[in-house]
Amino acid sequence: MIVIKAQGLTKVYNPDTVPVHALRSVDLEVHQGEFTAIVGPSGSGKTTLLNILGGLDRPTAGKVWINGTDISTLSENKLIDFRRDHIGFVFQSYNLIPVLTARENAEFVMLLQKWPRAERLARTEQLLREVGLADKMDYRPSQLSGGQQQRVAVVRALAPKPRFILADEPTANLDSVSTRNLLDIMARLNEEERVTFLFSTHDQRVIERARRVVTLEDGKIVADETFDR
Amino acid sequence: MIFRIAWRNIWRSPLRSWVVIVAIAMGVWAVIFLMGFSIGMGNSYVVSAIRLEVSHIQLHHPEYLKDFDVRYYIERADTLAREVAQEAGVRHVSPRTLVHGMVATARGSRALRVRGIDPQAEAAISQLDAKLVEGAYLPQGKRHAIYMGKKLAERLGVRLRSRVVLTFQDIDGHITSAAFRVAGLFDTNNNAFEESTALVRREVLNEILGYTGIAHEVAVLLDDAALADTVAARLQARFPQLDVQTYVQRSPEIRLFESQISTSVYIIMVIVMLGLIFGIINTMLMAVLERVRELGMLMAIGMNRFRIFAMIVLETVMLGVVGTPMGIALGAVMIQWFQIHGLDLSHYAQEGLAEFGISAIIYPDVYPGMYVELAIAVFITAMLGSIYPALKAIHLRPVEALRKI
Ligand SMILES: Nc1ncnc2c1ncn2[C@@H]1O[C@H](COP(=O)(O)OP(=O)(O)O)[C@@H](O)[C@H]1O
Ligand SMILES: [Mg+2]
Repeated sequence: MIVIKAQGLTKVYNPDTVPVHALRSVDLEVHQGEFTAIVGPSGSGKTTLLNILGGLDRPTAGKVWINGTDISTLSENKLIDFRRDHIGFVFQSYNLIPVLTARENAEFVMLLQKWPRAERLARTEQLLREVGLADKMDYRPSQLSGGQQQRVAVVRALAPKPRFILADEPTANLDSVSTRNLLDIMARLNEEERVTFLFSTHDQRVIERARRVVTLEDGKIVADETFDR
Repeated sequence: MIFRIAWRNIWRSPLRSWVVIVAIAMGVWAVIFLMGFSIGMGNSYVVSAIRLEVSHIQLHHPEYLKDFDVRYYIERADTLAREVAQEAGVRHVSPRTLVHGMVATARGSRALRVRGIDPQAEAAISQLDAKLVEGAYLPQGKRHAIYMGKKLAERLGVRLRSRVVLTFQDIDGHITSAAFRVAGLFDTNNNAFEESTALVRREVLNEILGYTGIAHEVAVLLDDAALADTVAARLQARFPQLDVQTYVQRSPEIRLFESQISTSVYIIMVIVMLGLIFGIINTMLMAVLERVRELGMLMAIGMNRFRIFAMIVLETVMLGVVGTPMGIALGAVMIQWFQIHGLDLSHYAQEGLAEFGISAIIYPDVYPGMYVELAIAVFITAMLGSIYPALKAIHLRPVEALRKI
């Protein structure tokens, strides 16, 4: 089943002053259950692509369908609700609400989606345990390491069972142990929960873990390889 | 959850939040104090004007008020007074015989209003017995006693037991004179009244006028000033041959004064709230601008604009919710204290205030609902103050907000 379908995505920043062609006619299909890395050097357009696929930004040309919905037809407000209900996000940093504990952060999107309390608590607790944060649930982000914070962000994205999770360089600020740890967790959750992961990176160790690697260069897809890992 | 986030967000910059909270508390406190003070001052004037001059309701001969002619008196005033006293809502009734004349002493003469009263009935209304500073309040047995203000006595150059001669026109138009002896002096905070009015026994004045049981005015004090209109209407229906007027009709400036006080009270409130609103806008704008990335992230993961807006408004309102009770408590305690001890302005403005019939010791007062009105005012102020910052917040675009590093 195709979860994301992008056709002819083009993005030009500052079209009127100093145009920057961040994406040049990108076509992409992502299937249910994939564990896919978008790779490429800095400035190649990874963030731009993920933002457009996630409905955070609009392309200059081209279209994105998510579960068959053409998201360019959605209003700004509808788009916020659409993101909440269908997409999980993990950013490079500033993922968590600093005044909430790990547990409260983890259940935040479920809360926005109005999940029943018991179910919400049970699921976030189980997931936090699974990612090794059983004893950190009541800590605030500032009391957690960068790796732990990213794990909370992954749990928050995953908890409400979205169609897919977009993660823009989730390991960029992590040391190698934390990076491996987070990738293990993402891979395991991808297996267990059958959740689709689409993450960008330029870290070779992360690329090696992906089962599909889409390479961007200068806003164009230059390679799309699948590995059996 | 929004409540929890908003509440905790406030305490991310405790100092900044406390500045706003304290500003709100001080603003509320200042408004309470200024309002209490103006109301107390107004009450002092109104109470004094009602007690001393017009009471709540007055009954006259329909012609009397035109030019205070002694010929237009009310017959069998004592019976009338008793009947009026039975009316619901009426607390005290005092029949008064009034003459306008001259008072002559060794030093000179002066125009004077002489109020012939029944000492007990009058005391219940004007409470002039309590203002006694020297001598006695129209003592029993001394028929030709006169009770006058200390200031008037000074003007006339008389003292206790001095003789004064009153000259006035009697009912038949003849000029009459009568000698009185100063029995007591009073001191009110109302110069105009004190210098123009003296009290004698009504039956003595009636005797001089040559009639018994008459009065020119029946003054009525009610349980509550608010009853004035209804009781006056009932009395008018019951005594159609008389002219029944409320204090508002007799003394429109009282109403003016009252409305001016409430206007100034609202102006004070608006000024203080205006001051607060700019502080609030400034603070909340800072709070929004230093959280741009976080707000972008919240919108990215699906917190909609309504919720973001609500969160910012809530944070602001919460500052008010913390600050307002503090200000109210402070203000209420202060009002309580001054209600017992009075705020003594005599060092600053005794004479000035007395010219207006206002006591130099002010007992601040609040009206029921004032604290609620204030709380609502702060609430509205906080809401208004948060609108601009909240709009700023919801107009952030998540991608741009997230890119700001
Ligand atoms: N808001 C923006 N305005 C102008 N240029 C931008 C903006 N965002 C990104 N770019 C440019 O677009 C290109 C792609 O950027 P980006 O998508 O962030 O790449 P990556 O994530 O691979 O580093 C870069 O040249 C970058 O400078
Ligand atoms: Mg990037």
